[in-house]
Amino acid sequence: MEHIRNFCIIAHIDHGKSTLADRLIQACGAVDDRKFRDQILDSMDIERERGITIKSNTVTLEYTAADGEVYQLNLIDTPGHVDFSHEVRRSLMSCEGALLLVDASQGVEAQTVANLYLAMEYELELVPVINKIDLPAADIDRVSEEIDADLGLDPFEAIQCSAKNNIGIDGVLEAIVERLPSPGGDPEAPLKALVFDAQYDKYRGVVMLVRVEDGVIRKGQSIRLMYTEADHVVEEVGYLKLEKVATGTLETGSVGYVIAGIKTIQDINIGDTMTETERPAKEPIPGYREAKPVVYSSIYPMSSEDYGDLTKALDKLKLNDAALTFTKVSSAALGFGFRCGFLGLLHLDIVQERLEREFGMSLLLSAPTVQYDVTLTNGEEVVVDNPSFFPDAGDVERVEEPYIKASIMIPEKFLGAVMELCREQRGEKTQFDYLAVGRVEVTSEMPLAEVLFDFYDRLKTVTRGYGSFDYDALDYRATDIVKVDIMVNKERVDALSQLVHREKARSRAMHYCDKLSSTIPKHQFKIPIQGTIGGTIIARKTINAFRKDVTAKCYGGDITRKRKLLEKQKKGKQKMKMVGSVEIPQEAFIAVLKTEKEK
Amino acid sequence: MSSGGGAGLYLHVPFCSAVCPYCDFAVVPADASRSARYVQALLTELALLGEEELSFDTIYFGGGTPSALSRADLESILAAARRSLAVEDDAWLALEANPEDVDAAALEGWRGLGVNMLSLGVQSFQAEELRFLGRRHSAAEGERAVREALTAGFDIVSVDLIFGLPGQEPENLRDSIRRLAELDPQHVSCYQLTVHEGTPFHRRRQQGRLLELGESSQGELFELVHSELEAAGYSAYEVSNFAKTEDARSLHNQKYWDHSSYLGAGLAAHSFSGRRRWWNEPDLERYCSRLERGERPLAGGEELDSSELALEAVMLGLRRSRGLDLDRLRADYGLNLLERNAAIIESYVEDGLAVVDGRLRLTPRGLAVADAVVRSLDLDPA
Repeated sequence: MEHIRNFCIIAHIDHGKSTLADRLIQACGAVDDRKFRDQILDSMDIERERGITIKSNTVTLEYTAADGEVYQLNLIDTPGHVDFSHEVRRSLMSCEGALLLVDASQGVEAQTVANLYLAMEYELELVPVINKIDLPAADIDRVSEEIDADLGLDPFEAIQCSAKNNIGIDGVLEAIVERLPSPGGDPEAPLKALVFDAQYDKYRGVVMLVRVEDGVIRKGQSIRLMYTEADHVVEEVGYLKLEKVATGTLETGSVGYVIAGIKTIQDINIGDTMTETERPAKEPIPGYREAKPVVYSSIYPMSSEDYGDLTKALDKLKLNDAALTFTKVSSAALGFGFRCGFLGLLHLDIVQERLEREFGMSLLLSAPTVQYDVTLTNGEEVVVDNPSFFPDAGDVERVEEPYIKASIMIPEKFLGAVMELCREQRGEKTQFDYLAVGRVEVTSEMPLAEVLFDFYDRLKTVTRGYGSFDYDALDYRATDIVKVDIMVNKERVDALSQLVHREKARSRAMHYCDKLSSTIPKHQFKIPIQGTIGGTIIARKTINAFRKDVTAKCYGGDITRKRKLLEKQKKGKQKMKMVGSVEIPQEAFIAVLKTEKEK
Repeated sequence: MSSGGGAGLYLHVPFCSAVCPYCDFAVVPADASRSARYVQALLTELALLGEEELSFDTIYFGGGTPSALSRADLESILAAARRSLAVEDDAWLALEANPEDVDAAALEGWRGLGVNMLSLGVQSFQAEELRFLGRRHSAAEGERAVREALTAGFDIVSVDLIFGLPGQEPENLRDSIRRLAELDPQHVSCYQLTVHEGTPFHRRRQQGRLLELGESSQGELFELVHSELEAAGYSAYEVSNFAKTEDARSLHNQKYWDHSSYLGAGLAAHSFSGRRRWWNEPDLERYCSRLERGERPLAGGEELDSSELALEAVMLGLRRSRGLDLDRLRADYGLNLLERNAAIIESYVEDGLAVVDGRLRLTPRGLAVADAVVRSLDLDPA
């Protein structure tokens, strides 16, 4: 156990986390140079392209240290984006230490600070690493000062390296061995292991990634997942060395994988605690949160012919994504689609992007909605997560919406701006506590629906990126929700209907009208765009008719050219959604959903 | 004069004394030796033609600047056409001319050739606009040319105007139309300035040195053209063409719009017959050298299927004031346009863009957006 080090690398985006991981892997000879490719841990296209890590990956390295001993280094690659804080947290829970990577030319950035707060929360031992020291713009003195002033860490303990050019990598590895603690835990106690991630393998089913806290996992052993309350027999257990290496056992403190005949990802919960069936642990590892969808949105294929493809794509995506839920819906304007549940907005984003990237789908999404509890005048209670099914205002006795407790960690100087932001987002009981000198945690109870729209972006704006945000679900509270419908040329576009707090209905409706009127092209007739509540118009915009669209000359040679142009334009029209006789381009649907942040 | 049931013959003369910066026709700067070589090539092309099944009742000299050719050249071209093709004796003849080429001798020559319609490239009566367009005549010269042409006794004198210039004031356009109306030619073609790829105007626009008149201003000017000419006694028989009487319409151009057969000879000229359309070499050197080798100068062609023909029929029919013959559309292409597009056509009628009376006709406001109307219609046969 004293030869195990579980660690992660936390860094601002672009500060070289994946490159450093690549070098550590190479330095330990885990992959031969011919097979090596950049960002080796990032397996998804989106990850490589955006240069971010979305799904955490893990690799076990064997390192022979200067003291001559062989150490098992478990690099748990955390998502680099604080928006994935759930995944970051689970990864951090599996580590004892972290390398805090800072770019020698960029210095300490917002994400560095936000990640530091998270790491401190889990009491990780931190080793600051200054990367890219060989860049011409590198300013190690300034960065050292920032590490001291902004992070409160000792700059003299910082390791200097250039991952790109393989400078100082040995120093990093030695620091991992010397300065990070080995894991604790009791090898004799009942098994207790954190399932911090899972992958789906076509042939083997679910592959769980675990961190053993107490006890040992053995092949053939009967294990129990404590929250799921299901028993399984371990078929295979071992380390992840870029490929799975079966070992028969996984010792206390180590990180590895377990295959236990579980067929689908829905049968397990990430964050669950694995124990032994015969001798279960008394308490699971704390901090578990069930991955429950909280955000709902309908996804439609751009062209209704692609509905079958969308069905297949979602089925496949679900194999790897336990939190995704979906059921069939149909919209008058958009045809057949799926009502999907997501963990949050970023999850929605990623699902959308993966459907588009990996499955080549062209999609339309409706406005994200939370689940409302509606009590009808006849006493009946219904749950509504789709504006289309919101009852008539006359039948509604009472509506409750989910509240969250937002926890926002910021440098003190942004306190005023963040308090104001919470007020605007209908925050209640907004408080703040000093965590340390200059660092403040603001907590506020606010409707989840408010967070869905533009909270992240506005928080980033007002804190210039230095705020970290997380939330816990609270309860459902009474609210005054209305259904806003959007009419285009007097026809209701059901996919644009939304449930909004009455106070915000007009501004939201106006936003939709604005965006639609600037993204729907002019037609040869006037198009009124209206936001309505129960038939009453609360916002209105008009797209004027264009007055001129005709070719001036059309003689011998012009005719073929003109016909071909019309044929092309008619084809282009098939990519539009027709609402009545109005062509609505995909951009219009995207614009209304994405751009409230621009205000 | 012929009634117009036959085929049309188009003869292209690609030379201009200078090429206007907006022009995207097959045009080259005039040059005596090139011109002589071209006329020879054109004569050869005509000699190689022999579409026996077609009988021609209109001939159109277009360009470029046909008025740049001598009477003798024009005569020998016509004679060559008559030798190879069945051209009716009283075929209707049109010729395009630039105002600066119009003088008593030229007019007499063209009259002598039997020109029925003389089409004058006046473009504007505003000095500033003429300069912008790179024209080589003045407003006064334009007026003089029209007046003299009218006196010379052609059946139809037609005046071309261009509108929609960047920054064009409606008042200036109105003034040009009023000056034109005072001259009282029988026919007017009024084209919106279009910036085509490959022209100097297009390059200037890409460099940000040429503004574009907004779509709504263009629409305003289009409506102004139609209302002013209407008030002056001209009726629009096509998007850009106006005539005082039915007889003053361009017999030749109407063939393009109803899928009549036409044959084009000369640089880049297009031909159409039955379901086939084909076109000539657009490069002057290659056009001439191929004919010098005794080869026909074809560059390409297409065989139209029914859906392409139907789209053309709708697109061309809706450009005309007489509109679209719905029965013929159903008979020829099995397309029941009204039934397939009931809702949208009804909305066009309500908005005053179209009229349905056995035919589908666009009003002047509808003509202004004719391309969009075509795009909005479902043309799949039932």
